[in-house]
Amino acid sequence: MYFKKNFNKSFNILLLRILIIFVFILVSFFIIIPLLPLFLKSFSDNKNNFIGLENFINYIQNPSLTQSFINSLKVAITTTFFSVLIGFIYAYALTRTRLPLKKFFNTFSLFSLYIPPLAVAIGLIYIFGKQGLITQGFFGTIPGFDINLYGFNGIIIGEIFYCFPQALIILVSALNLSDQRLYEAAESLKASPLRKFLTITLPNIKYGLMNSFFICFILSFTDFGVPKVVGGNFNVLATDIYKQVVGQQNFAMGATISIYLLVPSILAFLIDKNFQKNEASLISGKSIPFKPRKNLIVDSIMFIFCSLILILVIGVFSSIVLASLIKIWPYDISLSLQNFRFSNVAGNGYEPYFNTVFMSIYTAIFGTIFVFFTAYLVEKFKPLKKIRMLIYFFSTLPIAIPGLVLGLSYILFFNKPSFSVPFLDFQIFNPFSLLYGTMGILVLANIIHFFTVCFISATTTLKQIDKEFEEVSESLKVPFYKTFLRITIPLSLPTILEIGSYYFVNSMITVSAIIFLYPAKIPVSSVSIVNMDDAGDTASAAAMSTLIVLTSLSVRLIYEFTSRNVSKKSSVWINPLET
Amino acid sequence: MIKKEGSFKYLEIKNISKNFGETFVLKNIHLDVFKGEFLCLLGPSGCGKTTLLRIISGLERQTNGDIVQDGLLISNSPTEKRDFGIVFQSYALFPNLNAKQNIAYGLENKKINKKEIEKRTNNLLRLVGLEKYSDQFPSQLSGGQQQRVALARAMALSPGLLLLDEPLSALDAQVRSKLRNEIKLIQKKLNLTTIMVTHDQTEALSMADRVVVMERGHIAQIGTPFELYKNPITPFVADFIGKMNLLKGKYDKKNCVFYYLNNRFLISQNTEYSFLENCLLGIRPEDIEIIKFRKNIEKEENILRVKIKEITYLGTIFRLTVVLESKLEENIFVDVISNQVISNNLKIGDFIDIKLKKEKIKLFESNL
Repeated sequence: MYFKKNFNKSFNILLLRILIIFVFILVSFFIIIPLLPLFLKSFSDNKNNFIGLENFINYIQNPSLTQSFINSLKVAITTTFFSVLIGFIYAYALTRTRLPLKKFFNTFSLFSLYIPPLAVAIGLIYIFGKQGLITQGFFGTIPGFDINLYGFNGIIIGEIFYCFPQALIILVSALNLSDQRLYEAAESLKASPLRKFLTITLPNIKYGLMNSFFICFILSFTDFGVPKVVGGNFNVLATDIYKQVVGQQNFAMGATISIYLLVPSILAFLIDKNFQKNEASLISGKSIPFKPRKNLIVDSIMFIFCSLILILVIGVFSSIVLASLIKIWPYDISLSLQNFRFSNVAGNGYEPYFNTVFMSIYTAIFGTIFVFFTAYLVEKFKPLKKIRMLIYFFSTLPIAIPGLVLGLSYILFFNKPSFSVPFLDFQIFNPFSLLYGTMGILVLANIIHFFTVCFISATTTLKQIDKEFEEVSESLKVPFYKTFLRITIPLSLPTILEIGSYYFVNSMITVSAIIFLYPAKIPVSSVSIVNMDDAGDTASAAAMSTLIVLTSLSVRLIYEFTSRNVSKKSSVWINPLET
Repeated sequence: MIKKEGSFKYLEIKNISKNFGETFVLKNIHLDVFKGEFLCLLGPSGCGKTTLLRIISGLERQTNGDIVQDGLLISNSPTEKRDFGIVFQSYALFPNLNAKQNIAYGLENKKINKKEIEKRTNNLLRLVGLEKYSDQFPSQLSGGQQQRVALARAMALSPGLLLLDEPLSALDAQVRSKLRNEIKLIQKKLNLTTIMVTHDQTEALSMADRVVVMERGHIAQIGTPFELYKNPITPFVADFIGKMNLLKGKYDKKNCVFYYLNNRFLISQNTEYSFLENCLLGIRPEDIEIIKFRKNIEKEENILRVKIKEITYLGTIFRLTVVLESKLEENIFVDVISNQVISNNLKIGDFIDIKLKKEKIKLFESNL
């Protein structure tokens, strides 16, 4: 006989299980469950009678609506092709050549991440629009050239601006993982440059390449801002949803079109997920990074290519700033700040701007906490494996949910004060409905809309932290939450700051997720850009865009500054000695 | 199995099994660990030794079986309720805490006053000889120093059991042998029951009081290092602890003769071998003698005429790889002291006669 220690279950494990289940409930209610009313809506008429597939049939039989679907696909495929192509060449130049001024090109390539797609479109108007700089030949000084901006052309240019930096980020990190020794081995076997490219470079980045195709496809297929401003008569699904919901209050048709928008995105998401599943790193920790050699011809071609791209990016940005400062384009080109008064009806003064700043701050704070904690629970612990896998899956899903669809599903879900239980005459109070009509729902929509990228980045960081830290703590009888606060958070601080700044910047520039959600008493700036542009007050829209870009850039600068200090402080324990 | 005078079973591992579906990682492990003993779990990778250690710590859960520590049944206790300290192969030192903070990490969580923590941390730093490095971060310490911090941290809560998971394998050879002795000294000084996992037989033989040789999820043999060397009970143990030539042949029990190809070997009658016919003859390279080349070797006992295929210099000895002319693909290893090779002017391609010492020959059941 042995004494049995009275252990019951450990308090820590119990706490952990409760936390995991709690997070599971949250992500279910914020990501998956709101989609259900949307699906239901798409099968009902506007009086909530179930009508089966009638909406879908109506949609297919309406030639102008089906045309939008084809248009969206056309836009997405064209944009994806060009964005990935340009992104790849630019990324290749940054990582695999001796491009002069590399640091400069690196920094400014991501400049357009801070410009809302809406603002890009406005900038394009001032360059290529009817009264644009190029169209009118710089106020008539040289012969003009009209690219027929409004319609397909404008959308494509705007979307490429929007998608290219996303592809660039993915491809730079894929191309950065290289092994000099593979190239040296290939050279010793007399492989031609083309053969090296096809047998070493391409296979190494195939997952990144596939991922960038998928990201660009979803972004351009579902984007609302660019087609809204420069789409003209070229209708796409996103603008159709907006027209049905905001213009005609036809929620059922809005929901139906949402499904048409959602399904291809989810399909692309699943294809990519299935593809990435096989990813195994071909580059080991011991690999020697690739060191490009000087090649005058390649380096010069790359320099010209990258300069052209940068000139376009900076040109668009400058034209936005310029447009906001010019009194009445193109008749009175004297400078003034009058466009920054936002005194028109559509403007609401500075209220939308400050609302947006606060919304972005809240999103950054709460989003970072939520996303990091979720990733931590999923990544670091063993209990409840199936539930953690579900949380992981749900967390990667939002990237495939278009902002407009998320917004629409949030209205349908959050404005219900109670749920009725099917077949029973019973109502359950919906606690989340309290958020409806508050800033809270905007913050929540933003947190979920940008959840995936933040979640993946938190997961990646947590994976790099030795899982034995948790085991050591257990053996030292230190509860996990103390180790979380004392070890995990300090070690992840750079990533936590990065996530916060990502949330802030994206909340500043987003329009699609919140355009249906913002309460009348809380106007936000990206929506007021849409409204000012609709009202023909493009200069004020440009001024608001300028404010947004400048704010995002300043926050990014603060982030760079802080993270540099953090890494200086932690450099003592970040650079391990060779043992 | 030896049982030391006055020692008692501190840890009892009873019929522990671990499987993932159909695949067994551990199968019916029985093992007693005595108080104050240094026990090594030795085996090739994938033999289940690390899994067994993790089951003892509670970081992994067994499928079947019980663990009793110091009279308490702990089979299902969570890790934090068990009494042990652990050192991982990677050390898992917290990179953002300095040496002292790392060591104090577990102490700070207990309701002990600051002075006491300070005192105990300093004692531990002194024990592992790192008083001067208390403010250094892990990245500023050498591998050996990091290892000592990890050891001190594992001992901070004065555990009854110390678990070491390949603690030395990340270090280079010189630091390794130095730390081997130090760990052993500290362990004896504190009379701390210790279980170490390793795949390095030299490490196991030089440090352990007893070694548990593991093979594919079960225990092949338990014994003191010398017992394992002298009396391995399976060919696996024989070849894992030291080196053993294994020749496949037939055993004539009645006459105590082993037939290998056309050669006869007399087997010492001291040991009764229960098995019959097909079996393996085992002999260590150091138990084979080179004898002077003679005309009629047929009259001599246990002698083979072989050809030298390779000569490898191993320090104080040479290892000759020799083959029979009738079986060129089967290598036999012979260790000879350097002088003998030089004075006899042995070269590759030479024919020599070797003698297998009768009393050193072992027979093993052939499972092939």
